[in-house]
Amino acid sequence: MTREEIIDKILELLKDEFEIVNPDLDDNLTEKYEFDSIDAIALLEYVEDFIASPLTQEEKKQAMEIRSINHICDFIEDVLKKRK
Amino acid sequence: MERRVVITAESAITPIGHGKKNIFSNLVNGVSGVKNIKKEDDLLAKYLHSKVFGIIDYEIAYDFSRKFTKTLGPVSYYACQVAKEVIEQADLDQELLSSGRVGIAFGSTHGSPTVQRNIYEAFFDPERKGYARINATDYLKSMAHTTAVNITRMFGITGRVIASCTACTTGSQSIGYGYEAIKYGLQDAMICGAADEYDTTTIAVFDNLLACSTAYNDRPHMTPRPFDVKRDGLVVGEGAGAVLLEEYEHARRRGATILAEVVGFSCSNNGGDLILPNADGVKRTIRMGLENARLNPGDVGFISAHATSTKVGDIVEAQAIHAEYGEGPLVTGLKSYIGHTMSSCGVIETIFTLYMLQEGVIVPTLNLEEIDPRCNMIQHVTSMKEMDVSIASIQNFAFGGVNTSLFIKKWI
Repeated sequence: MTREEIIDKILELLKDEFEIVNPDLDDNLTEKYEFDSIDAIALLEYVEDFIASPLTQEEKKQAMEIRSINHICDFIEDVLKKRK
Repeated sequence: MERRVVITAESAITPIGHGKKNIFSNLVNGVSGVKNIKKEDDLLAKYLHSKVFGIIDYEIAYDFSRKFTKTLGPVSYYACQVAKEVIEQADLDQELLSSGRVGIAFGSTHGSPTVQRNIYEAFFDPERKGYARINATDYLKSMAHTTAVNITRMFGITGRVIASCTACTTGSQSIGYGYEAIKYGLQDAMICGAADEYDTTTIAVFDNLLACSTAYNDRPHMTPRPFDVKRDGLVVGEGAGAVLLEEYEHARRRGATILAEVVGFSCSNNGGDLILPNADGVKRTIRMGLENARLNPGDVGFISAHATSTKVGDIVEAQAIHAEYGEGPLVTGLKSYIGHTMSSCGVIETIFTLYMLQEGVIVPTLNLEEIDPRCNMIQHVTSMKEMDVSIASIQNFAFGGVNTSLFIKKWI
């Protein structure tokens, strides 16, 4: 899965499920879009579906530090690498 | 120090309509909101003997952003809508709502049963795949205090939170405890109410107790029949209501429109059986309420009876009213129009009573065609009466032996 494919999927998810439209990849989602801890948990459920693999508790804890779309993509790439 | 408490806004979503104009029109025209239960419900509907329900079968135009809807189950949609309407009606600004002097007293029977069912699915999945899907959002949507805190979140309310969940006395406790919070100076205003969503679990509970109406499945509008000789049990319903209570001087200084005054409240427990109606408990609650309101029985002109239409409950209530009030006050069982809206019945019946005081009309108990001789010692309203009533009492009783008695006074 390429970085571009991951970005496209995340942008689609943010638009369809979180009503976040045309964000910048480095926008702080919490500050700019009020993306809170409840949203973060929900996003991780979608990520699990997207990568077709459940996340570990440790991975979820790491994900709670994520603030931008680029961070989300970095996180997904790291998880996918570990799964190989 | 005791302070006067007034009602400065109200809103209700009920099986006979949404908003005063719609609801009052249906009350005076004797329109029932009881319909057949939803056939598409494949959970319990086909197993139930009772096929009737007080249903909200009209669209409600919600205008909530996703920021807030992500933690709303169906019950909280109702709750937030009626809260929004009282805030708008009373013209409460954000500074006041977030001042810490405005609180919330709001509850439901048990949160959102619809969302709870989604959670329980994980229990019955042999591989427990659904476990990871039990998340914070589901809890926030379904927990017992979901209505109260979703309202505080949506409107930035920072005062005290009271989230009663005492089944059929939830709404009346919300008003009563809100009244006490203002009366004794703890808050200047309280948004008080309750809500319950469509749910067949509640019907099943009463159905299995043989307490639900089953004889009118082919004529839903003919049931429930409070105090009628042919009554055959209660009809479960859904709905929501909210009133804004405000300290009198606070309301006056704001230039708020005052709708009525809350003059007394009592709550007690039977101290024993959790289900059976208890005449001594009801009588004690009435006496405590009258004392709290500093009223004599003869001062009360109208009683909204709890009157669920069960065989024993209606008799016990009629006898208790007679014992404490004699034949003085007019008595109507308002559940005859909408069924038993569970947690919200107390606040909805208070709002219906408020409308009647304002309009100088007392509506009859619907379907009361032949009064049960065992209930015939009080002054039942069997046809619409145009009359000026100054003080009314709203009575509610709940599983668990909880009784409440609320007193409101017409604002002139």
